[in-house]
Amino acid sequence: MTTDASLAGAPTGRSWGDPAFAGIVRACGLVVLLLIGGIIAVMLAGGRQAFSTFGWGFLSSSAWNPVLDHYGALTAVFGTVVTAAIGLVVAVPLAFGVAFCLTEMAPAWLSGPLGIAVELLAAVPSIIFGMWGFFVIVPVMAHDIQPPLIHTLGHVRLLHPFFSGAPFGTGLLTAGLILAVMVTPFIAAVMRDVFNSMPPVLKESAYGLGSTRWDVMRQVVLPWSRTAVIGGIMLGLGRALGETMAVTFVIGNTNRISASLFSPGNTIASLIALEFPESPAGSLKLSALLALGFILMVISFVTLACSRLLLRAGRTARH
Amino acid sequence: MDDRTAPRPLPGMSFQATATAGTSTSPGTARPMISTRNLDFHYGASQALKGISLDFPARQVTGLIGPSGCGKSTLLRVLNRMYDLYPGQRATGEVLLDGETIIGPHVDANRLRSRVGMVFQKPTPFPMSVESNVAFGIRLHERLGRADMAARIEDALRRVALWNEVKDRLRTSATSLSGGQQQRLCIARTIATRPEVILLDEPTSALDPISTARIEELLDELKQDFTIAIVTHNLQQAARCADRVAFFYMGELVEVDEASRLFTTPRQKRTQDYITGRFG
Repeated sequence: MTTDASLAGAPTGRSWGDPAFAGIVRACGLVVLLLIGGIIAVMLAGGRQAFSTFGWGFLSSSAWNPVLDHYGALTAVFGTVVTAAIGLVVAVPLAFGVAFCLTEMAPAWLSGPLGIAVELLAAVPSIIFGMWGFFVIVPVMAHDIQPPLIHTLGHVRLLHPFFSGAPFGTGLLTAGLILAVMVTPFIAAVMRDVFNSMPPVLKESAYGLGSTRWDVMRQVVLPWSRTAVIGGIMLGLGRALGETMAVTFVIGNTNRISASLFSPGNTIASLIALEFPESPAGSLKLSALLALGFILMVISFVTLACSRLLLRAGRTARH
Repeated sequence: MDDRTAPRPLPGMSFQATATAGTSTSPGTARPMISTRNLDFHYGASQALKGISLDFPARQVTGLIGPSGCGKSTLLRVLNRMYDLYPGQRATGEVLLDGETIIGPHVDANRLRSRVGMVFQKPTPFPMSVESNVAFGIRLHERLGRADMAARIEDALRRVALWNEVKDRLRTSATSLSGGQQQRLCIARTIATRPEVILLDEPTSALDPISTARIEELLDELKQDFTIAIVTHNLQQAARCADRVAFFYMGELVEVDEASRLFTTPRQKRTQDYITGRFG
């Protein structure tokens, strides 16, 4: 294009607005960075006492003894990982079914309301899930689910350790199931959006060869959207790892590691929530809790980073 | 190895009936592989096809031309019931594939689509290897051993003149091929399931002239074995490739005739106006 002399001239009167706006939004972005940096710094600084007292042993010790002032992260990390894993194992197929139904099967009059219901489910506060879990799911687990599991799978040799113990209703399995209910709408919403973003003509080509809906989903839609689907699952995993209230209600809150899925336990988030009020400022216990918080943040960041990378990989692979 | 060239057994009784009841305007055409009678099509409230009665003679290329929105692509989507995928779209009237009705609730759309293949405007390779793309349709309908499958894949790729270009990279992703190669791959994928009819919806509109010429040459060979319907905006293409050409306008079939006759001595004024570029 031709160069115009007037372009090099003095800025016109309007031009102050642009830099001002740029400055404001830049400041907003900076606030986020400062916040996240500050939180990490506080966790790390607060947990320093615990880290320096116990060293790497903090990660491998399952002790939690306020009397002896001896603390370890292992039980809480174990509970966090196991409940989140149970949650995902249940939630992923469920969410896939919901998304498949929404995008491929449901008629328009159903898919609209169903989609809204999924979004509403995602908006239910976790304390509600906690109370619902405590009053509804725990009794159901204690009377209708755990006893039959103990009597059937509990007698299978290899499965025995996982399905033994007393049917209290609370425990890792119950917490995992609550988490599944909570993360399913997140994963389902991501999957639905990804499935919908698939070019219709690609689906039509598969249908045009005589594919059934299942053929199309399994062989075309899923391979095409695989990375984005995994990213969505990671987002759900992130939520499951950090969930506090709902888990605290149903997990039993015991510092114990057991193979049994019915065993009560705790997670990092539930342990912090329960112990925090009883930890005086400056105590080693408070430091241990902050150190646990730091560990949880690291676990969450790693999963979030993985999901980001996968989502990006999925996007670039498609173009 | 190829028994494709043998015609499928005719249902017999309905053949005579459709051939004589037809309103086909050109005499001496082969038996119709597909015939439509008083076919109406609605997208919700708007009518896209009005009383279409048209024969697609077996082993010939039928070209469908007309301005955008005239209903020619819609007609293709009726012939393999692709419209079924979308709510609010419905076809009424009669469509016979080799004498069998294909409109109605008791027709297995998946089986129909294995007999009536479709190729789209833009190449649509699946996100998998070249080989798996061709095998995709075969696997849906047949269980073949490894050697048979390899032979079928090679045969399909040879028929679209793609074999020499891709034989060394059958395992690489189909999306790494050029646009023209991808489109030929899609045609190979379609013919690999051995359909009776191939529907092509502007198959060359996204391709360069050389790739276009290749696909046009291909049509001449494919019509030895398949009945072909091609929608095109390119009138020269219709004249070059099609044995018969049908001109659509505003959802109606205006005129259908031998390509040579339709483009030189059209009987309808609207056809004349369209092919001389006065509208559309």
